[in-house]
Amino acid sequence: MLFVIGIKRILKDIRVAWAIGEKDIRIYYAKPASLMFGILFPFSMFLSFVIGRNIPIDQAIPVLVAQSLFFASSSIGPVTIPLEKRIRTFDRFLSAPVSLSTVLLGKTIAGFIYGAAVSIIPIIVGIIFFQSIITDIIALTAGIVLSALGFAAMGIMFASIPGQGPGQVMMPLNFVRIPLLFISGVFIAVKDLPVWGQLLSMFSPLTHSIELVRSGLGGQNFFGPLLNVAVLTFYLVVFLLVGIRFHIINQKKE
Amino acid sequence: MEKAIKAVNLTKAYGKLLAVDHIDFEVKKGEIFGFLGPNGAGKTTTTRMLTGISKPTEGTAEIMGYDIQKHAVEAKELMGIVPDISNVYTDLSAWNNLIFTGRLYDVPKVERENRAKELLQLFALFDRRKESVQGFSRGMKRRLCIAMALMNKSSILFLDEPTSGLDVQSVLTIRNLVRKLNEDGLTIFLTTHNMEEANQMCDRVAIINKGKIAAIDTPEKLKKTIKKLQFIEVSFVGATNNLTTELEKLQGVTEVAKHGDKYRINTENPPKVLSAIWEYASANNLEIHTVNTLGPSLEDVFVKLTGIMPEMRRKGSELGMRAGS
Repeated sequence: MLFVIGIKRILKDIRVAWAIGEKDIRIYYAKPASLMFGILFPFSMFLSFVIGRNIPIDQAIPVLVAQSLFFASSSIGPVTIPLEKRIRTFDRFLSAPVSLSTVLLGKTIAGFIYGAAVSIIPIIVGIIFFQSIITDIIALTAGIVLSALGFAAMGIMFASIPGQGPGQVMMPLNFVRIPLLFISGVFIAVKDLPVWGQLLSMFSPLTHSIELVRSGLGGQNFFGPLLNVAVLTFYLVVFLLVGIRFHIINQKKE
Repeated sequence: MEKAIKAVNLTKAYGKLLAVDHIDFEVKKGEIFGFLGPNGAGKTTTTRMLTGISKPTEGTAEIMGYDIQKHAVEAKELMGIVPDISNVYTDLSAWNNLIFTGRLYDVPKVERENRAKELLQLFALFDRRKESVQGFSRGMKRRLCIAMALMNKSSILFLDEPTSGLDVQSVLTIRNLVRKLNEDGLTIFLTTHNMEEANQMCDRVAIINKGKIAAIDTPEKLKKTIKKLQFIEVSFVGATNNLTTELEKLQGVTEVAKHGDKYRINTENPPKVLSAIWEYASANNLEIHTVNTLGPSLEDVFVKLTGIMPEMRRKGSELGMRAGS
């Protein structure tokens, strides 16, 4: 009996989380802050990386895919949560018969779909215009799904920072996001880094995101797909748990 | 009678500041309970604790017997909340706002669509259900906000300043809707600054000041607590002399002031003074033209208990009287 009640409650939480995610998709995907921090920002960084350098397309596409995943997924939480807190629609979630974890799961879903959808565009462009080939669909799917979920959860974690708008969350988030680009094999391949750099890059989730996508598109993998999946899964769990904890602590201060 | 809301020793501290200071009160099922207080008195903090948005530092709150902290889901399923600002999704249509609220409360699809239709008709928004809320007037947004709070067929409705800043027509509409909802069995927890609104609508009121409950009772009983503010207003036919000094000599009279052709007599015992006035008039061959007894208003009670002249006092009362008349 308790098992049935438990299952019913889980299904209810999933339905509510999906409703929140779907609502965010409708309202926030086209907001200027989401477009700027989620699409324009990674795309312009990518252009500054490739223009004037003779980088083969098979190296460039995985970087663009992973960068899109990284920025797009992690931008939705920091846009939606501070905005909803400012206009007090976030109170609707707090007074509804759902847990804060369910609400944050809904927000994570919105970030996940945004990141995954944005990252698929360069793959399609690569296949149609630059003869890119998907050689390992499992690695590519795992890379997109785990990265989009993990980075969306990272955005939710940063969105716990008290503030009156997305800008106040984006600033500290970019303090973390931009330095990660330099140690994750974006500008310099991991194999070309010094040993200490390779060690450092192993701890960056973005490294493993690029590596899995690169494996999927026929490129070389430095750390190996298993380690990539393990590290991304670890970060996903850590970001989710820490994010929920931070939001609960903030809620207590309300 | 069963309790809809029960607050025991409810406290909220922000550092050293006690925003709500160990308050206790109960709201009966089916009543309209007014929660009055000046700005910063702790009204919104109390409401946020009762609705589970904010956690109490100390004490408990029960909604229909469910502890809001221990059985939050069960308690929240029974309540609808209308905050002091209309927190609707302006990018969505009225229909989608209601449907989303239904999904948030996990109301089944057919039921939530029927309920949304019913509420849009009740709140006169059905014809504009497909429009983005961005273009709605303040009154329409308020009505939509109340409709959203009713999507889950709640038993208790928390209304925070529901008519604040609205035009008279919207005020009238919302008050009538709230009365109707109450007649249908909904318990209403009404936070307001508007004394006349509380006077006209509430079965009982609590006045909170500096985080503490200053008084809880029916509006009429609260008014009676200020005996010194009871007046008799009397006018005599053909009385040319000033009778102030004579009237002041009558037993039970505290003070007499002449207001045009009337005398306003301040007393703690109106029946006794009324008899004395009749006796005085017949002894002096005076014919009484009009006589009225004037009690203190709820606003007087509020001012006395809080020691504060509420902001926009006169304006608020006037709007309340016009809207309620």
